[in-house]
Amino acid sequence: MLNKIIKTNEFAVFLILVVLSLAVGLVNPAFFSVSTVFDTLRASIVFFIMAFGLLPLIIAGGIDISFVAIAAVTSYATHMFLLSRGYQGGILLYYIIASGLGLLAGLLNGVLVTRFKLPIFDVSLATFTMWYGFNLFFIGATANFELPDGTVGYYSRFLITAQDPYVGETGLHISILYALFIGLFVWWLLKYTFIGRGVYAIGGNREVALRSGFNINRIMLIIFGLMGVLSAVAGVTQAFLSRNFNPVIFIGQPLDILAAIIIGGAAITGGRGTVIGTVLGVLLIQLINRALILAGIPVEWQRLAVGIVLILFTSIPALRDLRARRVGHTTELIGAE
Amino acid sequence: MNTKTIPLPPKKGLTTLLKTIRIDGQTLLLLGVFIILTVFFAVTEDRFLTGRSIASMAFQLPELGILAIAMMITILTGGINLSVNATSNLAAVSAGLFLVKLLPAGATSEQALLYIALALALALLVGFICGVINGFLVGYIGVPPILATLGTLTFFTGISTGLTGGATVTGFPEQLAVIGAQSLLGIPIPFITFVLLTILTYFLLNQTTFGFKVRMLGSNPVASNFSGIDNRSILMKVYIISGLLSAMTGILIMSRTMSAAYEYGSTTYVLLTILIAVLAGILPGFGSVIDIFIAVIILQILSTGFHMVLLGVRGSSFFKDFSWGVLLILIFIINYFMRVRKKQE
Amino acid sequence: MAEEILRVENISKRFGGVVALDKVSLAIHKGETCCLVGENGSGKSTLIKIIAGIYTPDEGDIYINGHHHKKLNPITSIQEGIQVIYQDFSLFPNLTVAENIAMNDQLARGKQIVSWKEINRIAQEGLAKINVSLPLDAVVSTLSTADRQLIAIIKALLANARIIIMDEPTTALTQKEVLALFKLINDLKTRGISTLFVSHKLNEVTAIADRTIIFRNGQKVMDQDAKGLDVQTMEYHMTGRKIDTSAVTFSQVQEAARPLLRVENLNLSHGFFDISFDLKPNEVLGITGLLGSGRTELALSLFGELPADSGKIWIQGQEVKIKSTTDAVQNGIAYVPDDRIGQGLFLDQSIFNNIVISIIDRLVYKALFLNHKEKVVESDRWIKQLNIKTPSGTLPVKSLSGGNQQRVVLAKWLASNPKILILNSPTVGVDVGSKADIHELIRTIAKQGIGVLLISDDLPELLQTCNRILLMRSGRIVEEFKREEITEQQLNAELVAVAAPAGS
Repeated sequence: MLNKIIKTNEFAVFLILVVLSLAVGLVNPAFFSVSTVFDTLRASIVFFIMAFGLLPLIIAGGIDISFVAIAAVTSYATHMFLLSRGYQGGILLYYIIASGLGLLAGLLNGVLVTRFKLPIFDVSLATFTMWYGFNLFFIGATANFELPDGTVGYYSRFLITAQDPYVGETGLHISILYALFIGLFVWWLLKYTFIGRGVYAIGGNREVALRSGFNINRIMLIIFGLMGVLSAVAGVTQAFLSRNFNPVIFIGQPLDILAAIIIGGAAITGGRGTVIGTVLGVLLIQLINRALILAGIPVEWQRLAVGIVLILFTSIPALRDLRARRVGHTTELIGAE
Repeated sequence: MNTKTIPLPPKKGLTTLLKTIRIDGQTLLLLGVFIILTVFFAVTEDRFLTGRSIASMAFQLPELGILAIAMMITILTGGINLSVNATSNLAAVSAGLFLVKLLPAGATSEQALLYIALALALALLVGFICGVINGFLVGYIGVPPILATLGTLTFFTGISTGLTGGATVTGFPEQLAVIGAQSLLGIPIPFITFVLLTILTYFLLNQTTFGFKVRMLGSNPVASNFSGIDNRSILMKVYIISGLLSAMTGILIMSRTMSAAYEYGSTTYVLLTILIAVLAGILPGFGSVIDIFIAVIILQILSTGFHMVLLGVRGSSFFKDFSWGVLLILIFIINYFMRVRKKQE
Repeated sequence: MAEEILRVENISKRFGGVVALDKVSLAIHKGETCCLVGENGSGKSTLIKIIAGIYTPDEGDIYINGHHHKKLNPITSIQEGIQVIYQDFSLFPNLTVAENIAMNDQLARGKQIVSWKEINRIAQEGLAKINVSLPLDAVVSTLSTADRQLIAIIKALLANARIIIMDEPTTALTQKEVLALFKLINDLKTRGISTLFVSHKLNEVTAIADRTIIFRNGQKVMDQDAKGLDVQTMEYHMTGRKIDTSAVTFSQVQEAARPLLRVENLNLSHGFFDISFDLKPNEVLGITGLLGSGRTELALSLFGELPADSGKIWIQGQEVKIKSTTDAVQNGIAYVPDDRIGQGLFLDQSIFNNIVISIIDRLVYKALFLNHKEKVVESDRWIKQLNIKTPSGTLPVKSLSGGNQQRVVLAKWLASNPKILILNSPTVGVDVGSKADIHELIRTIAKQGIGVLLISDDLPELLQTCNRILLMRSGRIVEEFKREEITEQQLNAELVAVAAPAGS
């Protein structure tokens, strides 16, 4: 059992995470502090949520970039709408309305893909462009800082607080719970429902999935809807964590989240991927960013360091495949008879 | 079996050249859209078809256009190049820093031109090297192109950021502006460049053995290898060309804005080039650069057209994104019905 | 006579103007093993698809388990106990053994929530049914073809199959695995489960079938006890003509000439060891061996796809280094792969493009411009010469039948004017008529001076084309035979003989 865990991609990422943490900690002991943990988690929350929404699509063999646009348009539109109505209540209504919009937006992608047999990526490219444009033109082009009274305290709602030797009082924001529950839900969906198994089946061999009796269209619509809802939740959460609603939130980041999922062990062609791997992938990227800062690398060179890491990360499995191909060709081998 | 094939020289003439240009369904569809949109905007907005307006469009679209060609050739091989914009910026930043740091103050016009020429050569060299790196990762190591170029996009941007410290490079000699802001015989130089590069790429992809191999490799890389084609060399060349084209875009942008920055355009620019490729119906092994050309013009028409029509409306410059997304969806749906009809025949 | 499970009467089917099936009737009885043979286009796959409910017949009746149907759909077919095992086995490579076995069952029951206990139980039951043990949590992509086939059979059994239809089931199996499969089919027989299998390996048909059914041109031309039928009679009925192999003239090897190809001490770790042989001009040299003998690796090595670790290669007396496929082609070596679709053809590209790809660099003028006209001229020449049946060379290669597709691959290589042509299992999946044509082509090519290396496990094929045959086992060449000196039986005995213990 343990043997099996060790062989997975996820374990490799976990190891790298541990090794990297230790390395950074050695260089700068300030790294080993509660505030680091809390801050890293805080910065990861919205990425977790969006990545959980994207993961089923990736496993099913599709790549989608519109989730960031859905996060932006649902959160911003909800906010401007509520603002125009003079809403002064709490966050719940935000989440409800935005999720509803997110569901519709996700389903739009889903319908285009299933009804017109279009490639997932192409459709997401179109809706990505469309939603940001829609947001900026029809809703508003500037960030908005007027938050309803009922939401003001949310920014500092902490789950746990602690005293950190370097920073003083620090806390873990309550929205980590959303990420936790969503993560558990997606994990459960993927492992314990036939929607989830269907996702893996579609990613493994779509033809066979169809022949076996999976209702592919239904499954795709569900995961698109889920992606839309989770993107909306992420957008609203991000807005409250940063205390403003930005119409172009996340616009430069779809590929980063995709990278995190792939680093976490998902196959870009589909059929493989786990929630825990995704969590590790997001954490690793966060950690690398943080590590660069704490290791004293000047801001302007951090991007380069991340680039080198990405190149290494993607080259190593490719090199392994290259070698394996040579040997693998000849697997049914000597002594087979 | 004869050992020598005697080559028959083709008949010269424009008519034969035109005959070899294959006009297919996608091209006709795009031409149709082009005509409809031009007519629509010409009618709704009388400033649309003026010389100034056309010139303005002709100045802007080549940047995206050449970048789109850089993207297209990699898609033809079954890959993709997410680092086109990053390469463009890096090339611009390198050339810009060279110019700013090394051009002596009070230089003569001739000196300025010399330094500009060197700077541009440097930009192209940077584009070349970026292409080599991509070609090496994709062709020789075998990293999936989307992942390799995701890494190099970050890497190249990282170098730009590091070199500039995040600041924009400015202070170029005014002669630089010629390329990006002047016209030749009334046609903007950038546009001429775009047309020339389109023709060159068309020629390369359709009239040379290299182009033939590129398409076959895209169709089936395994069979390509098993047919004796040197896949690695072809991929390297494709990514180098992509890098060079990206560098040229960087030069144009630098010339037009008289500045160079690490983040001009960012990921959205890259996604736009992919959008253009999708609109043009580019697939591994199949696709025409002519369709890219028309698609870029269509996008520009929508952008300028709606900007004019909505002038005065807040956020009018953003309507174009919305319109592009909607257009793409419409084209998808039309393509779907075209495919369904074709299958029925 | 055992009880009839399936009977079809006067089934006819047309596609456009083409008659695929013409008043075909046959019956399958309980516990019977039937083999369905016929060339491509004979109608056998159409009939299978009608029985599986994928196509509906234009005329005729179907009776299963006593129920009368005018047509079937996939669900009713399955309900009546028909299970088809396709060549891809309908498995999910990324999922486990247990999941693959139990999936259809759970889906059919409309389950929404997954109970892993239930899945494991079903899988365990399935494995027990055929007395086989496989790790339940093994991912299917890591299993051998034989094991995957077992899972497919288990799935069929779990779905209460009364008739299991298998499409070319022995293609990727080793000799031992084939015997295990036949044992399983016989075991199923005793449990009253009938098997219908489509196969082109006629000697296997005689080994396992109770009854042989032969189709030709949409009609059933033979339906009788398998025991009385020999391979030649079967071939005659399949093609309607006698494939007269006695009239074949073989290429005369120039024994005294310098070898076209000489190989010395070639080694590839995990592939083959200490390989040395000669290939003379005009010679057809066969290389055979069971799956795992290293014969494919050797071929790939000579073609530069798996460059050897050590050893020397001479072509026409010149030593050469072959480190890539480009090297091989430049040195005049051509390779017709066993995986024609994945490795040999560009399916979406035109026939023209497929034919000229390896010589494209020659089709230029002024050293730069691609000569489109010459491309067409050259391709047309080969289309004619090799009898490739197509209305136009601009059509994509995927529009062609298997035999014609193989001719395109051959055309590609012949156009390159090779010195040495390596063929790997060239007639698998090709109809008997085309097969004989390809054999004649091989002999003709050799007569024209090209050296041919024929990798094959089809013994009759080797004996009809080769001058010499090398036998490989466990990565080494263990025997060499001259064609005239050995019979098919002897060759087969050598092939399946177990190697002498350590030290050979």
